Amino acid sequence: MSSSRCSFWASLLAVCAATLLALAGCASLPAERDAARSALTPEVGERPFLAVLPLQNLSATIAPLAEIRAELIEALAEAGCDAVGDKELELFMAHQRLRNVGGINGPLAIKLGVATGAQAVLITTLELYAEQYPPRIALLSRLVSLEEDPEILWMDSVALAGDETPGLLGLGLIRDPAFLRQKALTRLAASLADRLAGFELPARVPGKFRPRLAYGTQHLEREGKSRVVVAPFFNHSDRKYGGEIVALHFLAALHRTGRFALAEPGVVHADLLRYRVIMEEGVSLSQAELLFATLKTDFIFSGKLFDYQDPKEGRGTPVVDFSATMLAQEDQGVVWISKSYNAGTDGVYFFDWGRHATAGAMAAAMTRAVAGLLAR
Amino acid sequence: MRFVKLLVLSAVLALVASCIGTPLTYHDQNMDFSGVQTVAVLPFTNLSGQRNVEERVRDVFMNMLLATGGVYVLPTGEVARGISRAQATTGGGATPSVEEIQKLGSVLGADAVITGVVKEYGEVRSGTAAANVISISLQLLEVQSGRIVWVGSTTKGGITTKDRLLGGGGQPMNKITEEAVSELIQMLFLG
Repeated sequence: MSSSRCSFWASLLAVCAATLLALAGCASLPAERDAARSALTPEVGERPFLAVLPLQNLSATIAPLAEIRAELIEALAEAGCDAVGDKELELFMAHQRLRNVGGINGPLAIKLGVATGAQAVLITTLELYAEQYPPRIALLSRLVSLEEDPEILWMDSVALAGDETPGLLGLGLIRDPAFLRQKALTRLAASLADRLAGFELPARVPGKFRPRLAYGTQHLEREGKSRVVVAPFFNHSDRKYGGEIVALHFLAALHRTGRFALAEPGVVHADLLRYRVIMEEGVSLSQAELLFATLKTDFIFSGKLFDYQDPKEGRGTPVVDFSATMLAQEDQGVVWISKSYNAGTDGVYFFDWGRHATAGAMAAAMTRAVAGLLAR
Repeated sequence: MRFVKLLVLSAVLALVASCIGTPLTYHDQNMDFSGVQTVAVLPFTNLSGQRNVEERVRDVFMNMLLATGGVYVLPTGEVARGISRAQATTGGGATPSVEEIQKLGSVLGADAVITGVVKEYGEVRSGTAAANVISISLQLLEVQSGRIVWVGSTTKGGITTKDRLLGGGGQPMNKITEEAVSELIQMLFLG
């Protein structure tokens, strides 16, 4: 008798505690940070239905893009998301003559939603791919809403190398590129699933990735979210598509802070094409004025890339060197500058502890450090 | 004997003094530098033999100059547009003429333009020792008259006694670039 009474009180307490915890958890999620989840799960228990676009290849190498996409869809299914069928998506792309798979503009986003019934589109960029030992892969992925003004709901990156964590007696080395690919895609899918579940992505960055120089004016302080356009960086490095890659890393980093409303690159790309904007050595003030007016943005974020080196066949150290500039609509001028450079061996003293094996992982951390300062 | 010792000592001192890079600077005494609010940094000339270093140094200089808060530095995209509109000759060993400077100033709305030359950039070797070195010189030209009102030149890095004795390869290139640029900015503001 007494044991049943005890168990009754214990279960009542457990239920109360669980309810309180759930309420506290819900309260700690700001409304805008929960937008991704509410936009994608209108009814409890329903699985998000996504259109997974073919991969944009910025790796400047030949890569099995279709295979990676199929594996990504599998990983997403395991993480609780369904994808639009290949045939249906191919038909839509052919009908709309959709060739730029690196972004989506407003009219296309609406049409995609209507034609396929998808709730959002997943745009994935392959940044690095190598099958020779040590295998390497780097991906950037973002989930974009299918609205007139497409909103980035989630964005993250992953960069892995087979030799980055050799462990004891080399037991941690990964020689199979398929296994490394699987690991990267699972990590990306898990990050998306976490975001959809309402968890925030970790924002802490090691101190060594802080910019070497950062300067901003007081005009950055605003109420609410500032709308930011990230323009491609001017590429002085030897890395093909380096400017686009760093711009995407900045997009991911700024989105992670939750302080900025970011324009979808597909929308920016469409406007740059429509107004025939060619940026020589960066954004000029007249071009900035045009972008401020057409994209209704508060800030334009851009910069220059000087180094974006990945080790070749496991030899060498990754190096990333860039400077970032932000132009403000109010001031019609520069309100933020920063300079960042790091090598993969920075801060490494014992047994390669803390070494970075890919430029992608470093760029993600470095851009996050800049975005953290900007958001502060 | 004592005279010989003194002679040797003074020769050593003179040698040491000659090894220390002395920054060179010139300020036009008639120029009111407080009137310079907006500057355009033109593409630098690269005499180092290495690719793209002029853009690296220019970028560091522009960022550090803007970060002082003393002057507003026009963004590179705007400067490129101005050069194109003014049809000015810059970089690649060419310096703009007085007319071009004046035209650039009016197109860009700048009070002064800065031109620069990267004379050395990269690794130098001496025997078994190696270290990074940078040598830059800059000029500030006032746009109304097209006159040179400030000149600064500096060299940083190079092989030190420590490098010769212990090795090590000197300081990283980015670090000595920042040191050199910082010194030039100090020269510009402090005179």
